[in-house]
Amino acid sequence: MSKSIKHTVHYSHKSKDVWEYLTKPELIAQWLMPNDFKPIVGNEFQFRHSCLPEYNLDGIVYCKVLEIIPYKKLSYSWKAGPGEGKISLDSIVTITLIEKDNGTELTLQHDGFTSLNNSVFAIMDAGWLKNIKKINELN
Amino acid sequence: MQTQTLDTFQVIADPSRRQMLMMLSKDSMTINSLAENFDMSRPAVSKHIKILCGSGFISIKDIGRERHCTLKQDGFDELQKFIDYFDKFWSSKLKKLETLLNNKSKKK
Repeated sequence: MSKSIKHTVHYSHKSKDVWEYLTKPELIAQWLMPNDFKPIVGNEFQFRHSCLPEYNLDGIVYCKVLEIIPYKKLSYSWKAGPGEGKISLDSIVTITLIEKDNGTELTLQHDGFTSLNNSVFAIMDAGWLKNIKKINELN
Repeated sequence: MQTQTLDTFQVIADPSRRQMLMMLSKDSMTINSLAENFDMSRPAVSKHIKILCGSGFISIKDIGRERHCTLKQDGFDELQKFIDYFDKFWSSKLKKLETLLNNKSKKK
């Protein structure tokens, strides 16, 4: 059970090739989602996916480019919600590339909402078992 | 009684509600004793409690004349569901990216 989202993957390709797939809308669409991304800081763009009623997400991700360091780092905000522009999920995606072992190591972190969660999970960890025990004693 | 439905993330985005959960993680408490710790009106505290209850983070049990609040698993499960979803989402997307990169280099 993970409490934060971080993935590290090694690709046997040059960082320049991987970068293209992170920053060209038609290439991003091939592995991620249809989008209107532009590699400009401050640029607002959207991802589209099918709606996920069980997660209360309407299928539009509202994003804004926060940081670009060519071939090294890309970060954008990731906001989504149940519809009508309402935002319930306010998070940040950061992707970093490092040239390593004749290839590229990609690290993707999706947080903001998870760091908030962590404090709530800490609450759960601290109190939950103890409380369960108490409830059982009451019954 | 109309229960307010708020998305899980909005529920915990409020610092007062997080603090209430934090206090309840130590022990179950009555609404009155919770309210003593907050510089807000009793109805405002009740509203937060109602939201926490409606979203499955706490349960309320009437014992005598007091209303006791206890942490409940459901709200936390809902959060975990989100994290698990995005965790799987990214791992499959990044795998797809690898396939694309490999196919591209084969074509060269």
